[in-house]
Amino acid sequence: MSGTAKLKETAWCPGCGNFNILKSLDAAIDTAGLDRKRLVMVSGIGQAAKCPHYTDANVFNGLHGRALPAATGIKIANRSLTVIVASGDGDMYGEGGNHLLNAMRRNIGVKAFVHNNQVYGLTKGQASPTSEPGFVTKIQTKGVVLEPLNPLALGVAENCSFVARSSSVMPEHLTAMMAEAIKADGFALLDILQPCVSFNKINTAKWYKERCKELPADYDPSDREAAFAAALKWGDEIPVGIIYRGTRRSFEDMTTALAGEPLRAFSG
Amino acid sequence: MDANIRIAGEAGQGVQSAGELLTSAFHDMGLHVFSTQSYMSRIRGGVNSYDIRISDEELHSGREDCDVLAALTAESFATEKKNVARGGLVALDGAAGPDALSLDMTAAAKEAGGARMVNSVAAGIVFALLGYDIEPLAKAIGKAMSKKGEETVGANIEAARRGVALAAGHEGLVKAPVPGERRGELYSGSEAVGLGAATAGVKVVCSYPMTPSTGALTYLASVADRYRIVVEQAEDEICAANLICGAAYAGATAMTTTSGGGFALMAEGLSLAGMLELPIVIMLSQRPGPATGLPTRTGQEDLLFAVHAGHGEFPKIIYAPGTIGQAYEMTRRAFESAHKFQTPAIVMTDQFLTDAKKNIPELPGALDPVDAHIETAPGADYVRYAVTESGVSPRALPGGEAFVVCASDEHTPDGHLTEDLTARKAMQEKRMRKAALAAAEAMPPEFYPEPDETVLLCWGSTYGPCREAVDILRAKGRKVCMAHFAQVWPVWAGAGGALEGRRVVSVEGNSTAQFALLLRQCGAVSRFDSILRYDGLPFTGAEIARRFKS
Repeated sequence: MSGTAKLKETAWCPGCGNFNILKSLDAAIDTAGLDRKRLVMVSGIGQAAKCPHYTDANVFNGLHGRALPAATGIKIANRSLTVIVASGDGDMYGEGGNHLLNAMRRNIGVKAFVHNNQVYGLTKGQASPTSEPGFVTKIQTKGVVLEPLNPLALGVAENCSFVARSSSVMPEHLTAMMAEAIKADGFALLDILQPCVSFNKINTAKWYKERCKELPADYDPSDREAAFAAALKWGDEIPVGIIYRGTRRSFEDMTTALAGEPLRAFSG
Repeated sequence: MDANIRIAGEAGQGVQSAGELLTSAFHDMGLHVFSTQSYMSRIRGGVNSYDIRISDEELHSGREDCDVLAALTAESFATEKKNVARGGLVALDGAAGPDALSLDMTAAAKEAGGARMVNSVAAGIVFALLGYDIEPLAKAIGKAMSKKGEETVGANIEAARRGVALAAGHEGLVKAPVPGERRGELYSGSEAVGLGAATAGVKVVCSYPMTPSTGALTYLASVADRYRIVVEQAEDEICAANLICGAAYAGATAMTTTSGGGFALMAEGLSLAGMLELPIVIMLSQRPGPATGLPTRTGQEDLLFAVHAGHGEFPKIIYAPGTIGQAYEMTRRAFESAHKFQTPAIVMTDQFLTDAKKNIPELPGALDPVDAHIETAPGADYVRYAVTESGVSPRALPGGEAFVVCASDEHTPDGHLTEDLTARKAMQEKRMRKAALAAAEAMPPEFYPEPDETVLLCWGSTYGPCREAVDILRAKGRKVCMAHFAQVWPVWAGAGGALEGRRVVSVEGNSTAQFALLLRQCGAVSRFDSILRYDGLPFTGAEIARRFKS
């Protein structure tokens, strides 16, 4: 069954990177051959977090920053479901930062697609955890002084199953990365760079297009040291692709009570 | 006839192990037992104590004074000596004045194999002072320490025997109840809550450890394989609340355990469960606050907080078991109600009840899952939040034929977010119709022994002490009864009628008489007196009777 993204119903600004992400998501669901009835889209709060509502899938749109705990609970309750989190950088890296760290540590089989536009959208333009130093906002009036969060390096450090980056400005690449993430066992983090047409005048679509560059063909994502180097790279060139593949078993596979039939298989 | 034995010493000396050994041995001998713990928030040092009250009749609470004090340190002796009853005896490890038997327990422990066994020596001394044969204690040691190996068991039994020898000449000096037949099984409040949850079919337990709630979590972890439960330690209480919401959404019966501070962090998740209409259960084991308060002590200070917890308005059901047996029953009932009304339910306990141990009729341990009220065959036009007359919408699970969509934003019946204010009003009214439904099924209080002129009003763990106080006061001819509420929210609609024309004295472990205030808010009482305790220790029956004024 092909997805019917409800693009006209969205609460997004014209030109938002979320549109491409939604289209890629729809395509990736089909590419990965997912049964949408067995797919749960989970999110927190924010403009990106509205994404699940525009998909044909089960939806759990919970609290700000708390998508990962809810997704973890869903996966534990019924590991036969595919659980994808689609939420923003403020939600996943800011409000929910501790949950991200622990989802990585658990290596729970949840796929986190983070719409990262390096700014807060729904609250109108404040700094996000990935805003660059010097980024001026109505709150950070003299520019951001905090070091940006590096989610990819965290993923490598915590040795989770899948760490990748793509961008809404390269939709085909994004679809491929999403499909790979869905197929991966254990926790998958896909950081998706996207423009915010309303509040980020620095990291625009053009800015990303000029910088995002696919990892070389001979890049080995199982090499953890190389993965750290790739994860730390930022600036004139930003690597996109599968940064790291860990070999740890998933939380589901390591948990005795989750062996065999799903804890709550759909049987009534 | 009852006797109260108190083991007191430093944290790390095995006060708790000795207390548990004695509790188990006395129970096996055929005595009624009621044990309570008083301990400090530290791993070493300080003064901890463990009380084991024994009787030939059923017991409902502890006592402030004790008939035998086994003091393992000079500091614990100094703290506790004022609490020794007339005719009582003190055994002190080390040099003592005329107030105590000076018995070198540490030396005896060393002779048996190591100073760490001083607690087993003390247990032996207790048995000797009460005039009991040591065999049941030796058996209890064997049972409790079998995993540590025969050598450890043997050494500890030897330590207990050396304790008996130390007490030579003082055997049977303390009047003790006569053992009868072994009655029921021993449970702590924590175990009863845990067993209630496990048999009710809980499948996902996610908590952050916090005293005094950790006992229930530990118990559930210990039976996780038997009942197939995932017990996951959360990174914080916010995770715990949200994780069980996710698990409940996907169809697993789910709960978390916490205390006041952790519950505060869960408030947003509680509200989420209200909005998403998810059946989650929270065990809230209270301790005194505000803030970190007294981490290892008891209190009943979180009632109004729990009743009002979570932003916005949504139905919520709160039970407050008064006994260990009720801890099991009310936990099961919490799961039943949460699923029936698709809304969060809370079981309020406290340090006194969770740590207390008592022999009660054996609790059913077989898996007997509550009805989860699942819609197993949702049609093509299924929507999760159908507006119904009862307010309860058929609950399907994701993974079936219909999409299950939910949003923490206000939503239309299909679960998608909306800012249609007419739809909002209809949805809020739908949710609150469930509150009315739950109120109609609220439990009446238990009157003991029967309604009378004066009512000692209580809720939660104050049951036992209040009941004992009623016995004491009635023996003096006072027309006093107890009304205990094991469900505190929604308040039983008949409360006003049942209390009308009676003098109400609210007995609560807080400084503001929260339950009486709640009843007044509901119009169930207008005037009341109160007996309150908020020093971190539990009430005793004797204390309530002493403080009661006609």
